[in-house]
Amino acid sequence: MPGVDHCLQEAMAIPGAVGASIVDYTTGFPVATTGTAPNSDHEAAAAGTADVVQAATSRSLFVSAVPHDLLEDLIITTAGGYHLLRLVHTDFDSRLVLYVWLDRQQGNLAVARRRMQKLADDLIAT
Amino acid sequence: MTTSKTAAPARLFTQVAADRQTGALVVGGHPGGAVYVLEGRVIYAESPAAPGVGELLTASGRLAGRTWQTALDQGTSTARVGRLLVEQGHLTQGELELCVLGATYDAAYFALSPASAPVEFLGGAMHWLGPIAHIDPAAVDREVRRRAKMLDDIFPDPRIDTAVVTPVSRPPRERITLTAPQWELLVHADGQRTPADLALLLGRAGFATIQELRRLAALGLLELPEVRAEAPEFVRLPRARGTAVDARRHRAGPVDSPAVAVVPVVSGVRPAAPDPPPAPPPPPVVAEDTNANGTVYRPPRLARRKPGAKLPKEVAAEPAQIHPGTDEVLLKRIRTALRGLR
Repeated sequence: MPGVDHCLQEAMAIPGAVGASIVDYTTGFPVATTGTAPNSDHEAAAAGTADVVQAATSRSLFVSAVPHDLLEDLIITTAGGYHLLRLVHTDFDSRLVLYVWLDRQQGNLAVARRRMQKLADDLIAT
Repeated sequence: MTTSKTAAPARLFTQVAADRQTGALVVGGHPGGAVYVLEGRVIYAESPAAPGVGELLTASGRLAGRTWQTALDQGTSTARVGRLLVEQGHLTQGELELCVLGATYDAAYFALSPASAPVEFLGGAMHWLGPIAHIDPAAVDREVRRRAKMLDDIFPDPRIDTAVVTPVSRPPRERITLTAPQWELLVHADGQRTPADLALLLGRAGFATIQELRRLAALGLLELPEVRAEAPEFVRLPRARGTAVDARRHRAGPVDSPAVAVVPVVSGVRPAAPDPPPAPPPPPVVAEDTNANGTVYRPPRLARRKPGAKLPKEVAAEPAQIHPGTDEVLLKRIRTALRGLR
């Protein structure tokens, strides 16, 4: 049975993955973490993640007018890496996002995005 | 072990965790709650202000009430409710873990954030859900403090967290933008429900509810609760203004002049009793209740209380609280069971 830890292990198995976490984006709190975080600070990274997701979900610029056209993922690229944020939509009330940090040289954005999609789905689907 | 005392819940929590104890830290007061630790690691927390795992799963429709109730019936006595749900295929391990983690941090905020509350530690107590998550207590403690600060950064008025939610009837500006959770709250706020009621009704985390309510208050969309002198309590005892006066005693001290000291005075209540048996000044202090002349005022057995005076300690003492949290837990389970029958 894939649990949270298993999900993060799998995330670390994505080529180029440096760190991964599951973040509650209303409070900016890392519910579970593994690997390293930018500046070696998972909590600060989680707070930043939360800010980014909040901005994307609450600012009208990114909020779609089409019903059920929900935010799926956010991708931030830097010179050295990729930061992927995948929203985890649970049936019960939670506001969670799966965050994976990839090394730019070894990571492949498209592969990573597909893998994360599967991970987020497996985490909550029977 | 089971010492109930008024203390800072967070401090006792740190101590319990440092000693690597197993049991439940039960916090009384309002809203109160309980934090369950297993060998110093937090496995669950619950609070009346935060929907628990069962409420979250059933209110969202993820689990049918009956399914949840069956799991409770089968697993409560052996503390395996969580495991049963996964084994029987009703939930994935991931869902259960995420739900437990969310509910635990949520309830821990309400249980541990009060600066002072009646706290007791029930050694050996285990939660019926069973150990699903094992959370570092330091992380819980840090998160509780961080959340308190987060709320104050939004709108520093803690009355919002407990008072009945009343939306303003007319928005303070022409155009307002609401997020989906805010809309949900405003639509369901009927002027009767408290934030805890709304969280439970909507199956939303208690902290997230308060967070949105504070944002709404900051936007000027909520009526602010009236200013009260003190934190609201469920039972209000008469405010202590004076102290009890023993009617049989003379008034002590400076008013010792013989003219006053003649009669046993019910101080303050009946200022001038019309029938003071005038002159016979008895030996002042001794034997005043055996004052044999029949007309004499017979003091009541109990000291009279000035209006509004404090009750004597043994009367006013609160009834011994046994386990402040357990009633809540029981009520919650009854409510879930009833919902399952619906």
